[in-house]
Amino acid sequence: MPKQRRLETGVDWVELSTTAADWKAADPALLGTMLAQLHLIRAFEETVLELAAEGLVHGPAHSSIGQEGGAVGSIVGLSTADAVNGSHRGHHQFLAKALTHVSGGTIDPAAPVGPAIQTVLQRTLAEILGLAQGYCRGRGGSMHLQWFEAGALGTNAIVGGGAAMATGNAWAQKRAGTDNITINYFGDGASQIGSILESMNLAATWKIPVCFFIENNHYAVSTSDSEISADTRFSIRGQGFSIPSWRVDGMDPLAVHLAMAAAEKRMRAGDGPAIVEADVYRFFHQNGPYPGSAFGYRTKEEEAAWRARDPLDRVAKEMITLGLIDEPGVAAVRAHAQAAMTAAVGELLEADPDAAGKRRIRPALWPDPSFVDVGIRGDASELAALTVGDPAEHGGGWVETKFVDAVAAVMDRRMSRDDRIVVLGEDVHRLNGGTNGATKGLAKKYGDTTTAGGRVLGTPISENAFFGFAGGLALDGRYRPVVEFMYPDFMWVAADQVFNQVGKARHMFGGDNPVPLVLRTKVAMGSGYGSQHLMDPAGIFATAPGWRIVAPSTAADYVGLMNAALALQDPVLVIEHVDLYQTADRVPEGDLDYILPPGRAAVRRAGSDATVISYLSMVAHCLEAIEQTGMDAELIDLRWLDRASIDWDTIGTSIKKTNAVLIVEQGARGTSYGAWLADELQRRFFDWLDQPIQRVSGGEASPSISRVLERAAIARTEEVVAGLELVRRGMGQSRTDAS
Amino acid sequence: MATVVRMPAALAGVTEGAIQTWMLRPGDTVAAGQPLAEIETEKAVVEYAAEVGGTVARLLVEPGENVAVGAPIAVILGTGEGDDAVAAALAEAGPAVPAPPAADDVVASPPASTAAAPGGRTFASPIVRRLARERGLSLEGVRGSGPDGRIVRRDLEGSEPAASEAAALASAAPPASGSSATGTDVPLTGMRRAIARRLTESKTTVPHFYVTAHCRVDRLLSLRAEVNAVAPRRVSLNDFVLKAVAGALGAVPAANAIWGGDHITRYEGVDLAVAVAVEGGLLTPVLRRVDTMTLTQVAAAVADAAERARAGSLQQHELEGGSFAVSNLGMFGVDEFSAILNPPQSGILAVGAAKERPVVVDGQLAVGTVMTVTLSADHRVIDGAVAAEWMRAFVTLVENPAGILI
Repeated sequence: MPKQRRLETGVDWVELSTTAADWKAADPALLGTMLAQLHLIRAFEETVLELAAEGLVHGPAHSSIGQEGGAVGSIVGLSTADAVNGSHRGHHQFLAKALTHVSGGTIDPAAPVGPAIQTVLQRTLAEILGLAQGYCRGRGGSMHLQWFEAGALGTNAIVGGGAAMATGNAWAQKRAGTDNITINYFGDGASQIGSILESMNLAATWKIPVCFFIENNHYAVSTSDSEISADTRFSIRGQGFSIPSWRVDGMDPLAVHLAMAAAEKRMRAGDGPAIVEADVYRFFHQNGPYPGSAFGYRTKEEEAAWRARDPLDRVAKEMITLGLIDEPGVAAVRAHAQAAMTAAVGELLEADPDAAGKRRIRPALWPDPSFVDVGIRGDASELAALTVGDPAEHGGGWVETKFVDAVAAVMDRRMSRDDRIVVLGEDVHRLNGGTNGATKGLAKKYGDTTTAGGRVLGTPISENAFFGFAGGLALDGRYRPVVEFMYPDFMWVAADQVFNQVGKARHMFGGDNPVPLVLRTKVAMGSGYGSQHLMDPAGIFATAPGWRIVAPSTAADYVGLMNAALALQDPVLVIEHVDLYQTADRVPEGDLDYILPPGRAAVRRAGSDATVISYLSMVAHCLEAIEQTGMDAELIDLRWLDRASIDWDTIGTSIKKTNAVLIVEQGARGTSYGAWLADELQRRFFDWLDQPIQRVSGGEASPSISRVLERAAIARTEEVVAGLELVRRGMGQSRTDAS
Repeated sequence: MATVVRMPAALAGVTEGAIQTWMLRPGDTVAAGQPLAEIETEKAVVEYAAEVGGTVARLLVEPGENVAVGAPIAVILGTGEGDDAVAAALAEAGPAVPAPPAADDVVASPPASTAAAPGGRTFASPIVRRLARERGLSLEGVRGSGPDGRIVRRDLEGSEPAASEAAALASAAPPASGSSATGTDVPLTGMRRAIARRLTESKTTVPHFYVTAHCRVDRLLSLRAEVNAVAPRRVSLNDFVLKAVAGALGAVPAANAIWGGDHITRYEGVDLAVAVAVEGGLLTPVLRRVDTMTLTQVAAAVADAAERARAGSLQQHELEGGSFAVSNLGMFGVDEFSAILNPPQSGILAVGAAKERPVVVDGQLAVGTVMTVTLSADHRVIDGAVAAEWMRAFVTLVENPAGILI
C-alpha cells in the first residue's frame, strides 16, 4: 500500500457575501452612484431591445439586463487609468466604465444625468446602431465598444478573446510603475477556452495585475453550465494556476464591490492576478427581446426566481432601509434614466416618412460608405523623420557578418536606443540567443523575466496568450513588443490573437488605434521539421487585413526593414529563413539606424524577357536559375510583401517592359503568397501581359520529414529553372533567340 | 519521359522549315541549350538549341526536307529510357502533329499553328491586342508561336501589315504541259520559297508603276576617282547611288513612307534595303540610317552586309524593315530594268550600267557617260507626281555629286 498524502494548493478561494453591517458601513455616495449607474444601464439596455424589436439594430443585441450588478459593483471603484475589456455581452461593463470616467466616480441619484453622461449614452447607443458619431465611428457596434480615454479597451466578439490583451495591458501598467489594474470580463461559456487558461497561467507566472472576472450567468447561449464543466464554480480555475479567487453573488452589487476591493488590494500591491466570479443571470435570451424560457432551455419559474433578486431592487431596498432614499426617489431615478434615453433616441431616430408609425435612423448619421477601408493600417507617416538608407545604393564601406548576427545586432541597437522595446517568445532568453541565435546577447544585456525590468521575456509555450499579451502591450502604447514564433505554423494556435484581434484592432475600433508590434518568425523549409513546422506564412498574412510584411533576402536589407518595422505604428510580420541565418553577408559599416521604408523593392537583375518576382531566400535561387537558363530576366526582390507596402511602381515598370511575370516562392501552393499577387497583377496589368502569370511554388502538401519528400515538396533553384522554361515557352519564338 | 522535339517557328511568319544540318547523331548525349540542328528557313539559317537534356534517340527528318512548324523532328530520351519510350512519345505526339502541308492544302485549310479556333476566334495575348490596337495592325493571318498557337508579342516584332498569303499562292501557275524538253526537278530551298512567295505577293497585290531617268554620271565618276585617291577604303558608284537615294528621300519626305493597311507610316530617317545576290537566290539586308552615314561608312556597311549575306550569317532583324530598296545590275552590263517591290518597302530603284552614250549638250551631239535608273513605286503610297519629284531630286544629286558629300 503506497503512502499517500493529500496535497493542497495553498491558494485562497473564498465566497463573499454581505451582511446588514456591510450595507450600513458602505459610503452612501457609493450606494447612490451604484443605484444611478444600475438604472442608467437598465434604461439603456431596455432602449436597445426596443430598437432591436423595431429592426433598427443591425446584428445581435446582447442584452445585459439582469447582470448589471457585476459590472457596476466591480467598476464603480476604479479610476480612469484602470482598464477593462469584455466580451460580446459588454454594454454594461462599457457603460459602467464610461460613466465612472465622466462622473469622476460619483453620481447623485437625485440628478443622475448631466451633459457628459447624456453624451455617453447617446454615443454608446449610436455605436450600437452603427452610426458615425459612435465611439468607434459605427464600426464596432454592440460587440466592439472601445473608448481608450475612459479605460475601456474594447469589448470582444470572440469568446475569451480579450483575456490575453488585458494581461498585456496590465503588464504595461505595472512595468510603467503605476498601481493600476485591468479587468477582463468573460462568462461561464468562456471559462474553459484555452486563451483564458493560457492567460491565467501567464498572469500568475509573471505576477501581472489583471483580474479575470467571470460573469457566470449559467448559460452559454442555451447550454447550461452543468453541461460544459464538472464543477460549475468557475472560480475554481484559480486553484490550478495559483490565483487567489473570490466567489460572490452578482445580484448583490455591494458584495461584488467588496470582493473586487479585496482583489484590487492584492493586484495593486504587485502580488499578481485575481479571479472574481459573480453569480448573475441574464433575464433575456442570448440576444433580442425574448426571455430564455421562450426557447425552452430554462423555465419561467427559474427566471421569476432570479428576477425577484434584481440587483436594481436590491440596492434600492437596502438604501430605503438605510433611509438614503424613498420609493418615489427610486422611481425618479428610473424616470431620469428613461428620459435620458428618450432624448438620446430622439437625436438618432426620426419618423420614417415611408412607413407611418415607424421610426428610422436619421440618414445623415450613417458613416460615409467611403470610410469602409479607411484605417486598416496607419499611413506610415511616422517614418518620415527617419533616415532612409538603401543598401543597394550604399556607397560607403561594408562589414562582413553572418546574417543571423545582423538580426541580433539590429535588435540590440534598437533596444539600446528605445527602452520601450520588449522581446518575447519561447526560449528567446536562453540558448545563446534562442533556437537560432537571433536574440544572441540580448537577455544578458537587457535582462529576462528573472531580472527586475528585464526586457527579454522567455514565455510559456502558449502562443495565444503571449501573442495576445503583446497585442495588449501594443494597444497600450507604452511598450513595443517584438514577438518570436519559433516556427510560422505556430501562428495557427494563436490565430485568433494574430488575425481577429491584432490584425483588426485598428480598423474595427474606428481606424485610429496604433498597433506597434513586430512578429518575427523563420521559414524552415529544408530543415526536416516536417508537416507542422515548414510553412511560409506570407500568403496567410497577406490575405488577412491589418498586417504589414517584410521578407529580407540580405542582412543589410534586414537591418533597414527591421528598423522600419520597429518604427511603424502597425503590426509587422518579419519573415526570416533558416537558410539565410548562417550565410556570410555584409552590412553597411557603422550604421544600424537606416530604414528601408514600404514601397521600396530592389531590382536584383535588370532584364527584358520576363519579370521574376520573389522574396527571402528564393531571391538567390532565382538569380542562380536565371543564369542557368540564360534568359534575360529581370529579378525583383520585393522586400515588402503586403498590399499596402508592396512596390507597385517597380513591378509595374518591369511588367510594362517584359510583358511576362514569374512569381517565385518556396512553400506550399495552397496557402501561398503568389496566388494573391497574381490576382492583383493580372487586374492591374492585364493589357501589358503577353502570357498568363506563371508561378513557382511548392506542392500541395505540407513538406514531410523525409529528406527526399521534403525536397520534392518545396521549390529551389531547379523549380525556378522549370518556371523560367515555362515562361520561355510562353514567349513563343524564344527558341531561336536562345541559340 | 521521352521528349519529342518539334520543328520550331524559327522566324516570324514562317510555316515550315528544313533541317540544314543535324549537329548531333542518334546516341549522342545532349544538354539543354546545346545546339541540336541548323534550321533553314525562308530567310536565314539559325541554330536550334535543345530545350531538354538527354540522349538523342531518333532524328525524324532528313536534311533538306521541309516540314511544317510543329512537326516532330527528333526524339530525346531521358536517363534510363529505351525504345519503348520513343514509341510511346511518338504515339502520343502522333495525331496532333500536322503533316507538312502541300501547297494546295494551304489555300483550302489554315495550318494548325494559326491562332484561330474553329469558331474563328483569334487567340492573342493582352499585350498583342494592345499593340495591334495602337499600331492599327490586323492580327488576321499572323501566326501565333505561343502555347496553343497564341499570338504573342514576338510574333508582331518586325511584322508589318501584309496582304494575305493565299493571294500570292493562288497565282502560282501549273507548269506548261506538252513540253518536249526534259528536265529535272530541283527541290526548293527555303530562300527560293520565300522569294517566290513574297515577290508573287508583291507583284500581284501592290500596284506598281515605273519612272525612268537617264543620269549623266561623268562628274560623279571623276569625283569618285578623287575620293578614292584619299578615301580609307574604296567607294563604288553604287555607294554614291545609295547616298543619293537617301538624299532624295530627305528632300521628298512624302516618298519615304510605307503602306500600313489602314494608314501610311512616314519615316524620319532613311533605312535602305540593298539587294545582294547569293548562291541560290538573293537577300535584301537593310542598312539603317543611311542618311546619317558618310560615304565610306556606306561602303563599309554594304561590304559587310554583302559578305555576311553570302556567308549566311545575317540576323533576322537585319532583313526587316526599310522604306526603300536599291537593286543594281550595272556590273552585269544591263542598260536598264525595272524591279519588283520588296514589301513593305514602297520604292525600289533599279540601276543599270554607266555607259558612254551619245548625248545632246547645248544642241550638239556629244559623248557622255549615262546611267539609266528606273524607280518602281507603290502607288498606294507614292503618286506619280511624288515619284517624279523624287526622281528629279535624285538626278540632281547624281549630276551635281558634290551635294552627296555634304
